[in-house]
Amino acid sequence: MAEDTGRFPDPHEFQVPPELEGWEEMYPTHYLFSQDRAEWEKAQFWYQDKIHAPEPMPPLDLIFQEAWQISLSQYTTRVFCIPPAQGIAQRMLGPYMYICAIPPPPEVVIGEKAQLFEKRVFYVFEHYDELWDKWLYKFRSLGDEMAAVKIPPELPKFVPEAEVLPAPTGCYVSYDLIEAFDTLVNQMFKGWQYHFEMLNLTYLAYLMFADVARKLFPGISESAIGKMVAGAYVSMFRPEEELCRLARLAMSMREVSDVLKSGMSADQKFAELQKLPDGKQWLEEFDKAKDPWFYVSCGSGWFHYEGSWNTNLDIPYGYIKGYVERLENGEKIERSMDEIEKQRDEIVAEYRKLIKTDEDRKSFEDAYNTIRTIYRYAEDHLFWVEHWFHTIWFQKIREIGSLLVKHDMINEVDDIFMFNRYEIPELLTELATGWALGVDIPLRGQYYKDKAEKRKKILDAAKEWNPIPALGVPPEEVAEPFTIMLWGITTDKVKEWLKGVDVAAAEDISEIKGFASSAGVIEGPARVLKLLKDIVDLQPGEILVCPSTNPSWAPVFTKIKAAVTDIGGLTSHAAIVCREYGVPSVTGTGVATQVIKTGDILKVDGDTGVVTIVERKG
Amino acid sequence: MDYVLNFESLDKSALPMVGGKNASLGEMIKAGIRVPPGFAVTTDSYLAFITEAEIKDKIYAVLTDLNPDDVNALNNVAAEVQELIKKAPIPENIQNAIGDGYSQLCNQCVVEIVPVAVRSSATAEDLPTASFAGQQDTYLWVEGTDKVIQNVRKCWASLFTPRAIAYRIKNNFEHEKVLISVGIQKMVNSRAAGVMFTINPTNGDISKVVIEGSWGLGETVVSGSVNPDKFVVDKVMMEINERSISTKHIECVYDVEKGEVVNTDVDEDMQCQCCMEDREIKELVKVAKQIESHYGRPMDIEWAIDKDFSFPKNMFIVQARPETVWSQRKPESKIGGKTGRQLLMEQAMKRIKIPG
Repeated sequence: MAEDTGRFPDPHEFQVPPELEGWEEMYPTHYLFSQDRAEWEKAQFWYQDKIHAPEPMPPLDLIFQEAWQISLSQYTTRVFCIPPAQGIAQRMLGPYMYICAIPPPPEVVIGEKAQLFEKRVFYVFEHYDELWDKWLYKFRSLGDEMAAVKIPPELPKFVPEAEVLPAPTGCYVSYDLIEAFDTLVNQMFKGWQYHFEMLNLTYLAYLMFADVARKLFPGISESAIGKMVAGAYVSMFRPEEELCRLARLAMSMREVSDVLKSGMSADQKFAELQKLPDGKQWLEEFDKAKDPWFYVSCGSGWFHYEGSWNTNLDIPYGYIKGYVERLENGEKIERSMDEIEKQRDEIVAEYRKLIKTDEDRKSFEDAYNTIRTIYRYAEDHLFWVEHWFHTIWFQKIREIGSLLVKHDMINEVDDIFMFNRYEIPELLTELATGWALGVDIPLRGQYYKDKAEKRKKILDAAKEWNPIPALGVPPEEVAEPFTIMLWGITTDKVKEWLKGVDVAAAEDISEIKGFASSAGVIEGPARVLKLLKDIVDLQPGEILVCPSTNPSWAPVFTKIKAAVTDIGGLTSHAAIVCREYGVPSVTGTGVATQVIKTGDILKVDGDTGVVTIVERKG
Repeated sequence: MDYVLNFESLDKSALPMVGGKNASLGEMIKAGIRVPPGFAVTTDSYLAFITEAEIKDKIYAVLTDLNPDDVNALNNVAAEVQELIKKAPIPENIQNAIGDGYSQLCNQCVVEIVPVAVRSSATAEDLPTASFAGQQDTYLWVEGTDKVIQNVRKCWASLFTPRAIAYRIKNNFEHEKVLISVGIQKMVNSRAAGVMFTINPTNGDISKVVIEGSWGLGETVVSGSVNPDKFVVDKVMMEINERSISTKHIECVYDVEKGEVVNTDVDEDMQCQCCMEDREIKELVKVAKQIESHYGRPMDIEWAIDKDFSFPKNMFIVQARPETVWSQRKPESKIGGKTGRQLLMEQAMKRIKIPG
């Protein structure tokens, strides 16, 4: 399409399909490509953010993106001051989000930033351990505060006596409601400020170490670098470890394990277990694991509809069933952490031995220690922010949703996510005003209901539309660490996009490319899973093809031959877990779940990042 | 005095008796590497031959005061010496020893007449500092005692090609000190064969094994008459980082009718097919690492995959010698002694070019 011109369409001229009409009003106006900023916007390179926003964006879910745009960027530009790098800007085009790494600032600014960088950054590396302890304490406190925010269950006919006598509290539910939402928004923004506290530096250190490794061992694979850097004791793996622990506990409780192995639903199992003396003890342990570990999202944590283990208890119970069965067969279910660490240390030692000069060996060690010191941050923050924190937020927002349903402002609880964070205060204010005005006051419930319905239709239609991968002019250089490491924006990628993957011809595509994130070559039948709940269909020995994976998918990896994902780089969950289990994987293909159908025979080459469809089903 | 010695009884201390190539095969067998069986016709055989046939003094006499840059003189002397070796009778006890060695090899392989490769193995050959490689002859698919002896004689003569003589004079090796042994090794009936290096020969990176292979016998790869398939494998992760599959037009095979090895055209549908499986590549790398650690230095190895056996018993090493190019260079620092802090600062200043 644009190969000959070397540029993608101008975002201002690009037309989205007519069935998406009205999409603009779902998002804040500064998120739209606009004539006011046309000159600047035209000169940038915008690509669809398939990592955070692979799906059409529900208006309220945009809050996470808004929060990271500010936070990620400020750490690079104003806090730690990575000299030539600027922030990442976001725009919506249709219900899909596009992002752009802003080109470097003028040389003068780069010079100023370099001085600040030197002064500010090394402190973090030198004090990482203590900073992490502080970070976690601070972050968990914030999550606890969020969980404690009181959402009025309803607007009462009259305020309770206790709030008036003996002395009036002075402010009431009409205020509480609006304040609660504002607090939740503020807390989310604050949490995301914390999120990037050390992340930009972690990515920078990773790129630095990868560069050293490549200079010493030309052609070394990304998966080898990933394996050297990865840790074993990572919060992201805790949910799965807790399941293993619970399964082991059940092994000494005959009746409990019988219930757990049965085909009952989670609710039924809970009821049965409560009747058993051992069952009560087991449930106590289950409850202990639940907070925080079962706050893990069933998806990426970025969308309200994904749910968490907590809201889909059938998922953890299903995994526990599998683990109990495997334990009874005498299988080992736990990841052996010591083994993983030992293996990693051996790999590092082997590479180290291959370095020819003492000087280089010292640089390698120094570079390695630098990344190892801080890399845990990349692995640990993820669970706490995208999973635990987001799950709490979704719960709280749903409490507000319930109240809105109760007062006939929306049809379903989740319809609250059809309004963006600027619209909800208006909606709540209208409700509070109506309540305050007295009885028989007309409210525009129907207006909001219609709006929610219309928006749901637009989002559904957007799913059928395949967004263009990029807009604008490809850049000459990139300095922003996330762009390189997380989104993997490279010359090859841009060229691939310029070629344009024609989705109408999905059936004709027989080869797709992604990151070679876990080595090995294997052939087998595909199982395409768009949602975690479909994992019941997965058969042992199949190749998992899915949008992305996260900790809640962990138990799946012992069953599969290989994994292919749409989204995710070399440090994505699927990549890390596959490397650990020695399962080949190709991540970040962008199109796997569109192009591949369940039953197709695939050849997954984790050494080169190529997935070949050897045979189409039927 | 041993005229022949089984490979299994050899190690590097036997080098003066059997030459570098043969000693190295013995070393590898001792290290548990799969090497096709065979035996060495020792330098004692050669010495006894030139002594008892009374040609020794004549040979060294004509070589005295030869000017290596005088091409005509060089060619004439070489021809004269080679003629002496070709004509002289081989003492019976040496012929018997070679015949016995061959029969034993046939018994060991449980075939009546085993095809063998006959290769010269000079005592100054393949030293890391003096590459004589390829200066002596190799004869493939030799069958029967008489032909074996005939080719042993050719190998002895190959010590005196004009090129070999000139090389010795120019590098101050005394002709008398360079003796020759001959290796008699069971032929691998190879489906594919080639070479590998335990160092990347293009950039000296010792974290890789580079394998080159093609269909048939390895001679096409060694001689450079085909573009081989090439694989670059990471030694630590055992990952194949790079693979390039070439169009392999010809292969070297044994022609039953002609009774010799010939280059033939490869079937069209096979030309662009990869000549080896991934598990074979990985097995080779495993062996390459073993050989390298046995010798304690980067090595240059010839391998072959036998079509008569199944994996992994089909994987054979037929030759290994020290790598001589990169091993002699002084290693240079790649990072320039930078600290983690300096490296991080450098990374922070970096911009990645994306050519439009």
